[in-house]
Amino acid sequence: MKPGFREKLLMGFFGLLLVQGLVIFLWFSHAMKASVLDEIKNRGVSTGTSLAVGLVEPMLAMDYLRMKVLMDETTRLGNDIFYTFVLDPDQNILAHTFNSGFPVELKRVNPLNGAGPSSLKLLDTGRQMVYDYAIPITVNNDFLGTLRLGLSQTRAEKVVNQVLVSTIIIILLAIFLAGLVGTLLVNPLIRSVKKLHDSSEQALKGNLDVHTAPTLDRNCWDIMACNREECPAYKNYHHRCWYLAGTLCPTCVEGEYAKKIQSCQHCRVYRKCSGDEIQSLAESFDAMTLSLRGNLSDLKAAEKILNEQKARLQTILDAIPDFISLQDQDGRYVSVNKAFCQILGKPRNEIIGRFNQDLFPPDAAALYNEEDRRILSTGTPLEKENQIKGPNGIKWLHVVKISVSQKTDRPKGLVCSGRDISMLKAVQDQLTHAQKMESVGSLAAGVAHEINTPLGIILGYGQLLLEDVNSEGQVYKDVEVIVKQTKICSKIVKDLLSFSRSNKSVVTDFDVHGALEEVIAVVEHTFSLNHVSIHRGFHGAPLSMKGDKEKIKQVFINLLNNAFDAIDTHGKIYVTTGSVKSGREIRISFIDTGCGIKKDNLVKIFEPFYTTKGPDKGTGLGLSVTFGIIKEHRGRIKAYSPPKTDKTLARGTQFVVFLPTDSN
Amino acid sequence: MDLRTFFLLCMALILAGCDDNEHAISVDLSRTEQVIFRETPDVITYAYLPQYSHRVSYTRHQALVRYLRKETGLNIRQIFPDNFDQHMKMVGDNKIHISFSNPFIYVKIARRYGAHAFARIVEATKKETFRGQVITRTDNTAIQTLGDCRGKTWIAVDPTSAGGYLFPLGHFFSHGITKADFKEIAFAPGPGGKQEKVILSVFAGKYDLGTIREGALDVVAGKIDVAKIRIVSRTPTYPGWVYAAVKTLDNKSLDKIRTALVKLDFNQKDHREILEAANFVNVIPAMDADFDSVRQLTGRLGMEMDQ
Repeated sequence: MKPGFREKLLMGFFGLLLVQGLVIFLWFSHAMKASVLDEIKNRGVSTGTSLAVGLVEPMLAMDYLRMKVLMDETTRLGNDIFYTFVLDPDQNILAHTFNSGFPVELKRVNPLNGAGPSSLKLLDTGRQMVYDYAIPITVNNDFLGTLRLGLSQTRAEKVVNQVLVSTIIIILLAIFLAGLVGTLLVNPLIRSVKKLHDSSEQALKGNLDVHTAPTLDRNCWDIMACNREECPAYKNYHHRCWYLAGTLCPTCVEGEYAKKIQSCQHCRVYRKCSGDEIQSLAESFDAMTLSLRGNLSDLKAAEKILNEQKARLQTILDAIPDFISLQDQDGRYVSVNKAFCQILGKPRNEIIGRFNQDLFPPDAAALYNEEDRRILSTGTPLEKENQIKGPNGIKWLHVVKISVSQKTDRPKGLVCSGRDISMLKAVQDQLTHAQKMESVGSLAAGVAHEINTPLGIILGYGQLLLEDVNSEGQVYKDVEVIVKQTKICSKIVKDLLSFSRSNKSVVTDFDVHGALEEVIAVVEHTFSLNHVSIHRGFHGAPLSMKGDKEKIKQVFINLLNNAFDAIDTHGKIYVTTGSVKSGREIRISFIDTGCGIKKDNLVKIFEPFYTTKGPDKGTGLGLSVTFGIIKEHRGRIKAYSPPKTDKTLARGTQFVVFLPTDSN
Repeated sequence: MDLRTFFLLCMALILAGCDDNEHAISVDLSRTEQVIFRETPDVITYAYLPQYSHRVSYTRHQALVRYLRKETGLNIRQIFPDNFDQHMKMVGDNKIHISFSNPFIYVKIARRYGAHAFARIVEATKKETFRGQVITRTDNTAIQTLGDCRGKTWIAVDPTSAGGYLFPLGHFFSHGITKADFKEIAFAPGPGGKQEKVILSVFAGKYDLGTIREGALDVVAGKIDVAKIRIVSRTPTYPGWVYAAVKTLDNKSLDKIRTALVKLDFNQKDHREILEAANFVNVIPAMDADFDSVRQLTGRLGMEMDQ
C-alpha cells in the first residue's frame, strides 16, 4: 500500500530534517572539532607562551626552583597538560615536570631552531596522543631557551566527543521538536485535505449535498442584521454569501462568484468569515458542488427530454417498413431501425459501432465503402436498386444514400434508407411473363392457323395414299410414318391453339369428381400396365364448379400424364380433393412418387416449351397449357418438390390446383 | 531539482564534512635519564643591582655584557640576584665578581666585603651624579610641599636603595622630617622591579607618596599614564652608580674590564646602542673616595653599614 499524503509529508519533513541535521552535524562537527582543536592548540600555544614569558625571570635568575614551581603549577592547573620542560640554547634540560626521570626521546622530536616561531607536533606515546609545543623563551629577541609543553590530544578528543554527543542530542531534540511542531501543524491540514477527499468521493458517488467547509457562528444575515428572509444566503449555514448568486446585500454586485467577489472583499462579512487557503478551498468546493447540483438537475431534465425524443424517434424509425441507417463520417453505424436489423438478421447492439466490413461480405463491403466515400466526398446522393441474399432468400432493395451536412466543410455522416421491392419485382416479372406468354400465344395462334390448313391437306393426302398402296409394302410403312408424324404436328397445333385460347370455351356446371373419374378411367388401365396405381382421396361431398369441363379435364390429363412420366414404372399417384375458403374454392392435389423436380427448375416449369423430359417425350407445352386453362378459370396452381402435404415422401412432386367454384 | 541531484548534493555535503587524521610521531617515554646541572668554569659574573625587573636588567645590560665578553675575551655572564640583600650577599659569597650598584649599596659592600670601586657612570642626564624624587598622585592635593608629607604613608624602593630611599630620607631629614613623622614607611615587596612597584603603588593610591630614583618614571612611561604622577620634590645629587669588583678578581681581568668600559664612546654608533640600552652615556674611572658624600649621609642619618 502506497503511503498517504500525511505519511509522505511527514516522511519528507523528517527526511529533510534528518538530512539537514546530518549535514549540519557533519559540517558543524567538522568545524566545531577543528575549532575546538584549534582552540585547544591555541590554548596550548597561549599557555606555553604565557609560561615562557613567566619563565624569563627565573631563567635569568637561574632560579630552578621557581622554574619548576611555575611549570608544576601550570601542569596542575591544566588537566590536559601532560608535561612541560625547559631547554637552554644548548639543549640542556633546565627543569621538567616528569616525576621519574626525563624521557630521552622527547628532547629531540620537536626541535626549535633559534628564536623562530613555535612548533607543534602530534606525538604518539603508545598510551595516548599528545600535542607537543616547542615555544621559544626570548628577551628582546635574545634566545634564552625552549619551553616544551605536552597537551593530551586524547583528552582534547574526549572534550570534542562530549561536545559532539551534546550536538547530536541537541540536533535530535531539534528534529524531534521540529517534527512534533510540524506534525501539529500538518494535522489540521491533513484533516482538511481528508475531508475534501471524502467530500469529493461523495460527489463522485453522486451525493452533491456535501458540506466540507466548517459552519460559522455568525454569517452575513447575523453580522449585517438584514432580516431579509427572501435572500438565498439568509440562514444558509453551509455556504458563504459571496459564493451564492442572487444575494440581496446592497453592496453585492449581481451575478455569479466571478463578478461579485471583488465587491465582497471589501465587505466586513468577508473579512470576518473568510479563512485560510484550505478553508477557502473547502468553501469553493462546497460552492462548486452546489453549482454542479443545479447544473446536473438541468442536465437530467434535458437528458430526460432527449431520451424521450430519442425513444420516440426510434419508435418512428422502427415503425417505418423501410430500413434506415445513420453512419458517421468514418462509416461507423451509429443508428439503425428495426427493418435494417431484420434485413441483416442481427440485433441492434451487434450493428451499432460496426463498419460495413463487419456486417457484409468483403465484396459488398468494399462496394458500399466506395459508395460511402464518394457520397461523403462529393455530397452527391446515391439511388440504386440492390439485390441481396438474406436469410429469407434473395431480396430486391431500393436504396437511397444521402450525406448529412453540417456547418463545417466535412459532412457529418450519411443516411441510408432502403425499401424492399421484392414483391414489386415479382409483380414486374409476372407482368413481363404474362406479356411474354400473351405474345407467344398470339404468335402461336397465328402460326397454328397458318400451319393447320397445310397439315390438314398433308394428313388428308397421306390417308388417301394409305388407301392406294399395298399395306404390306415399304411405301405403305413410309406413308404411315408421315401420317403419324402429321397427326403429332396437328396435336401440337391444337395445343398451341388451346394455349393461345383461340378456341372457344363451353362453360357449364359440372362435378369435379365426375370429371376426375372420367379422366382417371381413360388413363388408369394404361398406367397399371406400368405398375403405376392411382389412389383417390376425394372430398366427401360433390364439388361442383362452373367452367369449361373439357378444358378442366385436359388439365387433369396433363397433370396425371406428367405424374406418370415422372414415375416411369412402379409408383403411386395420389389424387385428393377438398373445399377451401368456405366452399368458394376447390382444391385438387396430385402427388406422385416420381423423380421430383429440382428446386431451380420449379420456377420455369410453367414456361412454354420448357421440359425436363427426354427427346420425343414432351413438347414443353403441357404445363403451359395447364397454367393457361387454370388462369382462364381464375384459379391458381402451385408445384412442390418434394410434396408439401405428405412428409413421408422424400421424393416426388405435388401439384395443387385451386379453382373457384364460380370462375366468373 | 530531482531526487538524484538532491541525493548527490547531500552526499557531497556529507563527504565535505569528513576530515583526515593528523600524522603522529611515535615517542617512547619509558627511556628516561636524570638531569644534572653543570656549572661552566672560569666565569666572571656580572650583576646589575635589581632595582628593576630582571627583564629590564637583562635588556639594559645584556648588550654591554656581550660587549665586554667580546672586548676582553673573558667569559663574562650576567646573573640576576632577586633583591638588594641577595646582591650584596652574593658579592660577599664571591658569586658576583663585577657589581653594578647604587652608591649606598656600594659603600655597604665595600665596608662589609672589601669590594672596591673601579668605574662609575655618567647618567643619561650627562651628569656624573644622580638624585631621588618624592612623588605623589596629581590629584592628591593634600601634598603640595615636602612638609605636607608628615603623617602620610610613604613607600620607598628598598632600605638599601640610594635614590629610592637613602637620598629622600636624607632630604626629609634636612627639612626636619624624620621617619617618626610618617604614618607608615613601606618598602616595595618581592624581588626585582622595585622602582616600578613604588610608582605603581602611588599610582594606585595605595600610598600617599613614594620615593624613586630620578629617571625611573621613564621606565614605566609606556605602562601607566605618568601624567597622573606629580614630583613633589627632588633630593640633592650624589655620585652615580658604580662598578665595583670583588677583591678576589685578578687585576689583569679587572684592568681589561675597566679599559673596555671606559672605552665606550657615545659618539660611536655601536657603543651608543649599548650605552642607550644601559641608560647612561659614559663610564669614567672611579675610586672609593668618590663616595664619601654617601658615607657622610648615612652617618648623618645614623645608619649602620654592617646591618
